[in-house]
Amino acid sequence: MIDVKTKIYSFFIFNSSFGPREGEELQRILFYHPSQTSADTQKMQVGLCEAVVKFMSTFSSEPCEALQTQSKRYIFYQPEKGYWMVLVVRIPYTTKALSAIGESRGDVVDPSVMYDLLKSAYKMFRMFRGLFKDFPIEEIYSVCDQFFTPYITSRNLTNDISDVIQGINYLPLDKNSFFKVLCFIDLLEVNYPHFKCISFIYNEQLIWNGLATHDMLTLYQYLVQTLLPRQVAKEIQGGAVAAAQRHGRFIHPPEGIHNQEDLQKLVKVHLMREDDSETKQYYLVIYRTLSATVCFTVDVTVELEFEMFRSLDAFIGPQLSSIASTISEQCTIHALQTAQLAASEHKFVYFNRLNLAFKTSPPPNKLHLSTTIKPEVLSIIASIHADKKNLGNYGEIIIKTPDEYWITGKASNEREFYVIIQEKNANLKEIADEVRRICEAQMKGIFFYPM
Amino acid sequence: MASTSKDVAVNIQDNPPDDLEPGACPESILNPTDSFEEFASEMSSSLQERNVSLPSKSSTIYEIQSEIGETSKETSQMKATKSSDDLQTKDESMSASTSNSNLTDQNGDDTDNEKDDYLQSPELVNKEKHVFILSSAGKPIYSRYGNEDKLAGLCGVIQALVSVVEEQNQDILRSITTKDCKAVFLVKGPLILVALSKSNESETQLVLQLTYAFNQIVSVLTLTQLNRIFEQRRNYDLRRLLSGAERLIDHLLIFMEKDPAFLLGAVRCLPLPEKARENITSAIQTTCNKIRDLVFAIMIAGNQLITLVRMKKYTLHPSDIHLLFNLVRSSESFKTAESWTPICLPKFDSTGFLHGHVSYISEDCQACLLLLTVQRDAFFPLSQAKHTIAEKLRRSNCLVAINDALHRNEELPTTNPLKHIGIPEIRHFMYKCKSTAQLFSSDPISLDKLQDYRTRHKEGGDITVKKIERLSDIDYVRNYREFCSQIHCTSTPAKLIFRSNSNDTVLAWVTNGFELYVTFDPLMEKDHAIKAVDRLLKWIKKEEQRIFIMHAPTF
Repeated sequence: MIDVKTKIYSFFIFNSSFGPREGEELQRILFYHPSQTSADTQKMQVGLCEAVVKFMSTFSSEPCEALQTQSKRYIFYQPEKGYWMVLVVRIPYTTKALSAIGESRGDVVDPSVMYDLLKSAYKMFRMFRGLFKDFPIEEIYSVCDQFFTPYITSRNLTNDISDVIQGINYLPLDKNSFFKVLCFIDLLEVNYPHFKCISFIYNEQLIWNGLATHDMLTLYQYLVQTLLPRQVAKEIQGGAVAAAQRHGRFIHPPEGIHNQEDLQKLVKVHLMREDDSETKQYYLVIYRTLSATVCFTVDVTVELEFEMFRSLDAFIGPQLSSIASTISEQCTIHALQTAQLAASEHKFVYFNRLNLAFKTSPPPNKLHLSTTIKPEVLSIIASIHADKKNLGNYGEIIIKTPDEYWITGKASNEREFYVIIQEKNANLKEIADEVRRICEAQMKGIFFYPM
Repeated sequence: MASTSKDVAVNIQDNPPDDLEPGACPESILNPTDSFEEFASEMSSSLQERNVSLPSKSSTIYEIQSEIGETSKETSQMKATKSSDDLQTKDESMSASTSNSNLTDQNGDDTDNEKDDYLQSPELVNKEKHVFILSSAGKPIYSRYGNEDKLAGLCGVIQALVSVVEEQNQDILRSITTKDCKAVFLVKGPLILVALSKSNESETQLVLQLTYAFNQIVSVLTLTQLNRIFEQRRNYDLRRLLSGAERLIDHLLIFMEKDPAFLLGAVRCLPLPEKARENITSAIQTTCNKIRDLVFAIMIAGNQLITLVRMKKYTLHPSDIHLLFNLVRSSESFKTAESWTPICLPKFDSTGFLHGHVSYISEDCQACLLLLTVQRDAFFPLSQAKHTIAEKLRRSNCLVAINDALHRNEELPTTNPLKHIGIPEIRHFMYKCKSTAQLFSSDPISLDKLQDYRTRHKEGGDITVKKIERLSDIDYVRNYREFCSQIHCTSTPAKLIFRSNSNDTVLAWVTNGFELYVTFDPLMEKDHAIKAVDRLLKWIKKEEQRIFIMHAPTF
């Protein structure tokens, strides 16, 4: 686990047009973490970033992305014109092998992971709060503070492949079970036309998505990283409640919906549904039974009635628990099958840029730290993943590191497949053959060059 | 600093002599220190370390002079007078220092707007790579494009960025990146060097290029003099002392973008029959062994090394040779007359000048002979020696051999290596023998080609989107940049990279003894590639006497 609190030196958001005159520099700073930083330091850091952005703008039409000094890396992200988010991370200018710096395993962060952290922070903000520019100036400081302070301090990054490539875990189901899920969603939307199902998740795996892909990733990350872990912890604590949960309940708002007043607590989100042409505001309603979680949106113009939710609860409860049991059986069968497959000791990762599907080799044993991927290897995968042009529409790259790791990356249109093999005295051909075997066994039916 | 042959011996031990890699030999004329390793040690220092560790190394030139029984008085006196002369001619009207100008003040300034306008002018906009050199006081010294006088505003901003990071953050500014552009900063002694590049060069490769540009300046002034000038006058306008050196830097930048020698930190040799090279070497040895203060005798042609005879104990670093190549290529005047010129070789000894007798062998042979000595007034004996050497070469038919190689005579196996090796799937390759720091590639540059590139570059340097029909040799080298940077990546190095996509298949491979980069046809099978590389290495081994310098002759 990377300790974000010690890695992140500072995090700030500024907009130079908010205090255009000299002496007004502090007004440009919408948010600064850590908040106890002196005003002079804040001004100085933001001033430096402003100068860097301006300097680069004379040479490149692209926005500034990073500033590297001997000890730190400043990562820039401009989500809306004039609004700059900057994350300052302790990543030294690399002149030695990672292992030689004495950075203990798991302590090394790839810059791309930090850039993704910054982007996710903004997307989360946009989903739950909206655009920066839609807030009046006098409100924006407190809005940012309320949102980003808890967000940045609660982030946990594991030094894992899932942080290097952000994707969604899909749950493969047989036709009948999948059909049951679809029927349930259709029936529900017909009976309750105000409610639109935007996602169906079992454990942490996605079965159904009704959002545009980029919003789906944000909602998925919110569910899997923030909401569900809390919910699961609650469920484990209160054993007595378990019986009642058979029939499910609303988990968003977190206290549930028990009367008309609770409806005031419903959260508004900014989303783009699959058939929307632009981002709109919706109420977000989340319902959970056993391990199944369903998210709905309700248009904000709809007048909410408590009766509506009570009847919905009565409708979903029994149906969902029956579906959840079916899926659970499916998962058990599936787990048995993969257990037989997982004999391979090599790690692999599959990622599809189109639907963000992400699949990785099952973690052999979480207790064995030695089986986690080395930071050097992760960093090589990150760079292959980042440079899409390199492999083109179809291609393959094999890289051997000095400590006998062989990293293979394959690309085929929007799909990517990575295999990590540690093997002494192997040659190129043997590695390629091994990769082909893994690809055939794990990714049956998905084409990758070379066959 | 010069390294003794001891270093070489240590390097060689990695490869047992009975299993030499193609091109490897027991003793190297060049100091094969890896420039990437040097880079790593240099760039890992913190701000405090950097400020403390400014050089106070012993002078190699002084060492040589005392060894051959002379006192160093003369030279040091000479150096002192020279630099004070220079300082007297200095203009007294200095413009105000921009050193402490506040960054925020400059935003929206009038001068700033003017600067912006100039930066958007056709001379400067849309260039693939800018290089700016300024003094640590923010005074412009060199700009690759445009007129540096008009860039005072920009230089002020660069200086302010560097000093804000240093003074307020106690840190060192290294780089700024956008999606399509990298800005790399290097502070060396009293100078700030900046490269702004939209090419695919890595940060490390850009820093190495800036280091070369710095060394080019040192080679004209010596580091001692450069430091002294700015110690005495922080605001000094260095351009007064560098007139002529701009051209050298211009050419060096083009040279670095084109020639894989810089990518690999190696020197390219002119392929010659073993016998011819032996004759040339012995002609130099027999003629010069009586001249006791001669340190190096170097013969080059078309950016390729023909031979190098050296004083025992001293070797040259490839980057010093590259500067000599650049000097010779950039100076038309050497062609017309024998010249006597002070040359500082920064890796050999950055504190003082060697004196060089530079001349072309004859009108009908484009090989250039450099005789480098520590003696200030040795022009006539060296001129005499040169004529003797030229005569010997002509008599032993060596000039013909050199001309054949230079003009790429069709009958030579090295003229079109790919055809001669006969593996049609190989489109291009380059090979570096690590222990001798020499390289060979499938496209030995000929003079006209280099000229062509230079004229093309004069028109542009602009970014153009051209439709690629057939890759030129320069394009292949460009492609290798990413592989080189991955192989030498300091944090996550690689030993082997095999990449295959719809354009081509590239194999990059580094072992203890060599580095090899090969471009094949697209969709190349791995076992075919392995076999082809095998045959390629065998061919290089077979031709090694011709394409590499396998001896390290001394006087």
